[in-house]
Amino acid sequence: MSSVYLILPVILPIAGGALMPVLHLPEKRRNLYLEILVLLTSFLAVLCVLRKPEDGFTMFHLTGNLDFALRLDGLGCVFTCLIAVLWPLATLYAFEYMRREERTTSFFAFYTMTYGVTLGIAMAKNLVTMYLFYELLTLISVYLVMHPMTRKAIHASRIYLYYSIGGAAFAFISLVFVIIFGNSTDFILGGVLDPVKVGDNLQTILFVYLLAFWGFGVKAAVFPFQGWLPEASVAPTPVTALLHAVAVVKSGAFAVMRLTYYCFNVEMLQGTWVHFAVMSIAMISIMYGSTMAVKETHFKRRLAYSTISNLSYILLGVTMMSPLGLLAGMSHLVIHAVMKIGGFFSAGAVLHQSGKQYIDELNGLGRKMPFVFGVFTIFSLSLIGIPLFAGFIGKWNIAVAAMDTGKRYPFAYAAVAVLLYSALMTAIYMLTVVVRAWFPDQGTDAGCSNEEITDPGWEMKVPLGIFAVAVLILGWYSEPLMEVLRAIAEL
Amino acid sequence: MVGNIELFHIIWFPFVAAFLCYLTGRRHKIVRDRFLQLSVIAEMGIVAAAVFVYAQQGELEFVWKGFCMQGLYLKLDGFRVLYGSIAAFMWMMTGIFSREYFTHYRNRNRYYFFYLLTLGATMGVFLSGDFYTTFVFFEIMSLTSYVWVIHDEKPAAMKAGEIYLAIAVIGGLVMLMGLFLLYDAAGTLRMAELREAVQAVMPEKTTQIYAAGGCMLFGFGAKAGMFPLHIWLPKAHPVAPAPASALLSGILTKTGVFGVLAVSAEMFRYDSLWGKLILLLGVVTMFGGALLAVFSVDLKRTLACSSMSQIGFILTGAGMMELLGRGNALAVRGTILHMVNHSMIKLILFMAAGVIYMNLHHLDLNEIRGFGRKKPLLKGIFLVGALSIGGIPGFSGYISKTLLHESIVEYAAELGAQGEWFLWIHAVEWVFLLTGGMTIAYMTKLFTAVFLERHPFRQAEYDGMTHYMNCESIFALAVPAILLAVMGVLPYLTMNPAADLSQGFLHGEMPVHAVHYFSLVNLKGALISLTIGAVVYFGVIRKLLMGKEEAGVRTYLNRWPGWLDLEELFYRPLFQRAAVWVSAGVCGLVDRMYVICGFLKALMELSAFFCRLCDYLVDSVLVFIRSTTHKSRTEQHVYLIGTRFSRTLGIFLDNVIELLNHTIRRKNPIEHSFVVTFAEWEEMFRRTNRLIGASLSFGLMLAAIGLALTLIYLLWW
Repeated sequence: MSSVYLILPVILPIAGGALMPVLHLPEKRRNLYLEILVLLTSFLAVLCVLRKPEDGFTMFHLTGNLDFALRLDGLGCVFTCLIAVLWPLATLYAFEYMRREERTTSFFAFYTMTYGVTLGIAMAKNLVTMYLFYELLTLISVYLVMHPMTRKAIHASRIYLYYSIGGAAFAFISLVFVIIFGNSTDFILGGVLDPVKVGDNLQTILFVYLLAFWGFGVKAAVFPFQGWLPEASVAPTPVTALLHAVAVVKSGAFAVMRLTYYCFNVEMLQGTWVHFAVMSIAMISIMYGSTMAVKETHFKRRLAYSTISNLSYILLGVTMMSPLGLLAGMSHLVIHAVMKIGGFFSAGAVLHQSGKQYIDELNGLGRKMPFVFGVFTIFSLSLIGIPLFAGFIGKWNIAVAAMDTGKRYPFAYAAVAVLLYSALMTAIYMLTVVVRAWFPDQGTDAGCSNEEITDPGWEMKVPLGIFAVAVLILGWYSEPLMEVLRAIAEL
Repeated sequence: MVGNIELFHIIWFPFVAAFLCYLTGRRHKIVRDRFLQLSVIAEMGIVAAAVFVYAQQGELEFVWKGFCMQGLYLKLDGFRVLYGSIAAFMWMMTGIFSREYFTHYRNRNRYYFFYLLTLGATMGVFLSGDFYTTFVFFEIMSLTSYVWVIHDEKPAAMKAGEIYLAIAVIGGLVMLMGLFLLYDAAGTLRMAELREAVQAVMPEKTTQIYAAGGCMLFGFGAKAGMFPLHIWLPKAHPVAPAPASALLSGILTKTGVFGVLAVSAEMFRYDSLWGKLILLLGVVTMFGGALLAVFSVDLKRTLACSSMSQIGFILTGAGMMELLGRGNALAVRGTILHMVNHSMIKLILFMAAGVIYMNLHHLDLNEIRGFGRKKPLLKGIFLVGALSIGGIPGFSGYISKTLLHESIVEYAAELGAQGEWFLWIHAVEWVFLLTGGMTIAYMTKLFTAVFLERHPFRQAEYDGMTHYMNCESIFALAVPAILLAVMGVLPYLTMNPAADLSQGFLHGEMPVHAVHYFSLVNLKGALISLTIGAVVYFGVIRKLLMGKEEAGVRTYLNRWPGWLDLEELFYRPLFQRAAVWVSAGVCGLVDRMYVICGFLKALMELSAFFCRLCDYLVDSVLVFIRSTTHKSRTEQHVYLIGTRFSRTLGIFLDNVIELLNHTIRRKNPIEHSFVVTFAEWEEMFRRTNRLIGASLSFGLMLAAIGLALTLIYLLWW
């Protein structure tokens, strides 16, 4: 398969999305058009992954040896597949969810364009390309946060813009340093920094790494740049679920992985002050996110805080700076995507069907919406890390990586304790919702009992059901997935 | 998937049956009830089939690699045969009993669904051959059994469920941490391989191994109801429906004990430090549970506290098993047999309590007293359980307690022979006997209240209830009671083989000489306990814990101080207030300080400052030049009055006068400006000078003086 085809899944949704406002289709045909577009893109993306073209495709030269180029390698394949599977389902869900909203055409246009950009990040061959798509992602997705056009939404989108642009600026610094001190800007497992060129500038490089970690980490809501994520939960649920639990935030984590393992030299970073610094940052974010989630009473914001802590699980795995750590990071990246998108979709379904946003209003809703809360229970248990559910796999891998790194740098043992603390907090903030919904205290469900609340329609149910089944299957038998990931991490 | 698939059938069957049962229940309630009974009987059949294979082939194994990451490893050895059968048996009996008990309940479908799920999980725990598998099923079991506890959905049940869930989740997570440490240190979680693996790394990684053991003890102990994690037990067991209480008390606590035993036997075999820890916790649990039971006035709560106390007995046995080293046969056999006994006894007693509740919807001793007066069948069944748990000779509890007691005595003798300090072990022995006595006392209290005393005004009504249970329930209650009675009467035929079968699990060896259960030495302990029991019952319960109300009716009083509750006193303040307050406070502070905002603000200020600086850079150079080298000529100051000299002097003097006016001349201030005076003087002086300079005569006079002086000089010099 020629590598030219790599460009198709990136261009198709961007062009298709941009075309949409021009077409003026009626709702039904527009939805059909969209779903076909998204499915076609996913199909092409998966096809690219399966028939992996060996060499990359250079679109154009920017300047000097800076190319704008696409290529699929192992890590990219994982992210591409993840996005390609989740997007069509999320679009399906969005059809029903957005039915009552206004300005849906422009919403879906941007929504679909984001797909292409995210695939671009996944398929980027070098740091420059990734950086470009990264900026583009910010600019396109900012409209999606703003979409409700309320004061709050505009405020949130502004914060989102400031944080993201600011972060990208940090990231840009690393780009420059990698160009100067590296052999190339391409992503190569093991890093491209040339120790000879680095010479005495190691401390500078370490500092630049820290800056870049924070810079790309802004999208992954790493402490102290986590503030935008809970704010952004005012966006419509398909956005919060897909972008702020998967696409955007995972792009951040993905970029940090690329940066750590494919640009900077892991051996160079190991055991230095910056290694401990990034580990502590990840740990602090985990504890912060899970504690704040317990305090939060708004359903979607609670999930957003939970996302903060879970994203840092991924980063914690990454910061172990070992192949095991990369494996752990990747496995949690995949698993968390599935369970968190499910969690958000459940919250969205509740919001859509009943208009209830706060957790103390959910008393006894489980009886009314058995399907939604049934799958939500599965996602909750998975997030806590109960065995038999997928979340456990990710956490176990992270803990294994931490123990492994701990043998050399005992500081990493703290990660296990952090995981324990966070699991406990997760249990509190997820189970309180589940218990409240299924087993209301007597007399408190009176408010809900006479309202007509039902499970949503099939367009919402199908994605939810698929995610729940995926969580269970991954939890029971994750060997094939782990096999693939192990090959990528070269274990 | 390799190995004996029979073992896997035991696990998956209840899970599948649970879903089928649920689906059936949505259509047809009666069919569902029958389906449930059939499923539990079928499960018993599957277990029996596996046991049959075991009898032919010896130990069975089943491995499913890659299941839930670390793989599933099931095993069937002697102990697992015993406990697997007991679990299946208990589920069968409670399942049969459930149909009548739940007739008037709501949400039965939900209950049955989780009932079968828990069966599968519990089977998984007992059949697990590595700690990982244990943990997986243990977690499922904890979560599914939560639904039993809150089944009533009453406030008390919800509250108990809250604690149950909290302890289950915390216990599970801490246990996972322990498993993790262990796996990291030893490299395996298979019980059979642990001993060697731990021995291999023992000198270097002692701390880690002990930490791992501690975490696992926390997790398993929490489920077993071990002090100080017992708080959920006396609350959760009574509020659950009776068949569920029987299972919670009889078998779910045993999963915890199973874990503690496995950890003790495999990781810390013959480790006296570990043994002392377990023994200490066991003794406290044993005594504390009995104490709570003596004070309790609620039938099921008493039984629940009694469960805690009996778990204490078992843990004491586990501790002795470690302390005694190789010759621990007595302790091993006592521990296992007491587990078996307690399971069966609690099955009977809780189901009997269930029969009472089913008819009266009360559990308070004052309300239900006299219910069993004319019900010989129920009375007999309850009596078997009560006597057995009291350790009365001739009943099964006596056998296991005697073995445990003898193991303590043996250890005391051993310590004495070595010349070590052994008073403490005598103290343990006396606590053991005292707790035995208290057991007898609270069981007597229950039995007297329910079956001997009369209800002050509803006695006739109670006596009229002749059809208080149907024949299915009779079957479910009578069969275990008969089994228990047979076990007590024929210990050599029943209990000894059971102990022989299962002692391999704890690495117990055959005792050096057979134990004569009914010899005088062994009867002595039981007699002491009986005496203590009589003293406690007549001296404490009847005197202090019963009061007279009007009409001369003696009622049972709850004299346990309400504030003395470990949960309310310690755990809730610690976790709900302190921990939450601290962590949320810190995070809130971080949030409120707006790390980013503050940083940004500072950055803005700083950059604005520098920008302004740059902005003024050129201007300020000009300004500087203008004020220094290129300073424009300024007009000379013209004073209105006086010159600089006189003015400065005048202002100075004015200031002095001002000072004087404010200090010493306050009453009579000088109102006079020297500036003006000096200016006048100066003006006068200048005018005089000018006048003199301008005058001709003055000039002539000066010239004349000059001439005169010249003349004098010429004349005299």
